Amino acid sequence: MTAADATVAIEADGLGKRYRRGWAVEDCSFRLPAGRVCGLVGANGAGKSTLIRMLAGLARPTAGRAAVDGRAPDGNDPEFLRSVGYLAQDVPLYPRWTARAHLALGAALNPAWDQDLARDRLDLLGIPLDQRVEQLSGGMRAQVALAVAIGKRPRVLLLDEPVAALDPLARREFLASLAVLMAGHDLTVLLSSHLLPDLERICDHLVVLVEGRAVLADDVDEIIRTHKLVRGPESARRALARRHRVVDDDSAGPVASAVVRLQGPEPDPACELHDLSLEDIVLAYLAGARAARTVPDLALAGAGEGR
Amino acid sequence: MTWLVWRQHRAQVAWAAGALAVFAAAIAITGVHMADLYGAAVRDDGSAGPRLLDHLFDGYGAIIDTVHLTLLLPVVLGAFVAAPLIAREADLATDALVWTQSVTRRRWLAAKLAAVVGGCVALAAGVSALVTWWSGTPNALGGDRFHGAQFDTQNLTPVAFTLFAVALGLAAGAALRRTLPAVVATVVGYVAVRMAVGIFVRPHWLAPLHRTGGAGPDARLRSGSWLVKSDLLDPSGHAVGVRLAVPRSCARVSAQAIDGCMTRAGFRTVITYHPPGHYWPMQLAESGLFVALAAGLLAFAVVRTLRAEP
Repeated sequence: MTAADATVAIEADGLGKRYRRGWAVEDCSFRLPAGRVCGLVGANGAGKSTLIRMLAGLARPTAGRAAVDGRAPDGNDPEFLRSVGYLAQDVPLYPRWTARAHLALGAALNPAWDQDLARDRLDLLGIPLDQRVEQLSGGMRAQVALAVAIGKRPRVLLLDEPVAALDPLARREFLASLAVLMAGHDLTVLLSSHLLPDLERICDHLVVLVEGRAVLADDVDEIIRTHKLVRGPESARRALARRHRVVDDDSAGPVASAVVRLQGPEPDPACELHDLSLEDIVLAYLAGARAARTVPDLALAGAGEGR
Repeated sequence: MTWLVWRQHRAQVAWAAGALAVFAAAIAITGVHMADLYGAAVRDDGSAGPRLLDHLFDGYGAIIDTVHLTLLLPVVLGAFVAAPLIAREADLATDALVWTQSVTRRRWLAAKLAAVVGGCVALAAGVSALVTWWSGTPNALGGDRFHGAQFDTQNLTPVAFTLFAVALGLAAGAALRRTLPAVVATVVGYVAVRMAVGIFVRPHWLAPLHRTGGAGPDARLRSGSWLVKSDLLDPSGHAVGVRLAVPRSCARVSAQAIDGCMTRAGFRTVITYHPPGHYWPMQLAESGLFVALAAGLLAFAVVRTLRAEP
């Protein structure tokens, strides 16, 4: 690994995966700096799982390339496997095995296994070690699976909708435990969810996936700083569109407005600028993509919602 | 990987070891008894007569049936040990769990295949050795070891069938990635291939021999031969079907004398058979075929598994 790569934990470059029904991920490019907790958001079917499975070395890309901790994902490369932890959707475990047996599995299959770390987590969370995991609650099962993923001491942890099946309280506890874990370790986390409030709580970086493409990838602070809601006369908004990027245009609303990503200096004083929440910004990307399917030139057409 | 393989298959190992121990005990006890009975009966042949020999093992139906049931061992191992090996992981989505630990997928597959294929073949070899030893007496009594359950449960063939069934189970599991369909496909595929080979291929591994004799019951074959078929030919040399026209000259002959009369009238019986010497070449040929099929299926299962994208 070169020094330059050391700062990039995950890199996708034109990454694509085509299935018989079409492209699940297409021309997806982004870089995730090391040490971040990155949320991966997108609508259902946007390609989040496929992207994460490619990064975990389970699915082979049809196009482009990826690197995780400086290595191309490959299920037959022991170096790659050692550096990546993966937690699949629905947290698969062997239903008849106990939590203790799953920790033993981690110990048997991973040279860098940290039994104390994995064991202490489960003890701390009060998860019974000697009960079959099929008898545990969904939240406890997720914690067992996370303990196995963590115990191998990966440098990059890929979590595919780990909280989707959990009730709100279990979700909150899981994410809180993840945040605690992050604090003590040199770890990069990529965490997908379609529940933005969950991600907002723990993520400091965000990748927005729309129809298999990364339409936004940046630190959360930077995203909030550069995205503004713009209100003002149409002429002013058109002028704005020439220098900045319009994410979503809502001229049909009661008050004409647009969400823009500022590129360079502050825009025309003829417009009012308002701060946006992270959720509003992400929703603007999702809505903007939907509108773009029917209206090619979003900024100038002045059309409202597509479809 | 040793830990994982043992953890996942230890129950199967325990079952197999227990069943094998019970089976071995039953085989040892009854085998010795039956050999003694047969030896005594052969020594007393003058007084006891052939009728006693026919009923010599009447009390041993249970063990004889059990030995015949080993015919099912290959397909049981294929369907319930091999087919779930990959399919069950796919059902539970645990393939994504084990394939993202630090052990490469290649090593995982190599360890699992070595253990399961090796274990099943070893079990089949053990059972076959027991059955072959035990069958020495019934084979001698029946004068035949070619027939279905005998040819299929003794010596090499049961081991080759097991390797084939296990490879078929692995291939079905890798292709279908669902346990139940893989089990069904293994059973159906195994039965279909075995029946097809038994009916259409086995009689032709070696050209059978022919022998012509007088009309009447099959000319006596050497003990240990396989009678494939027996045809009655009329004086012009054409095979006589089931509707036999008894020549007028023999119409009033007594039942005991009819064969001699027909022979004098020019009727002949032609038997088609495999002599005892064909046994080992046929065992080798059929075992070779199933080992070759197994190799192809194993290669398919390996490629499918290494390319799978869970």
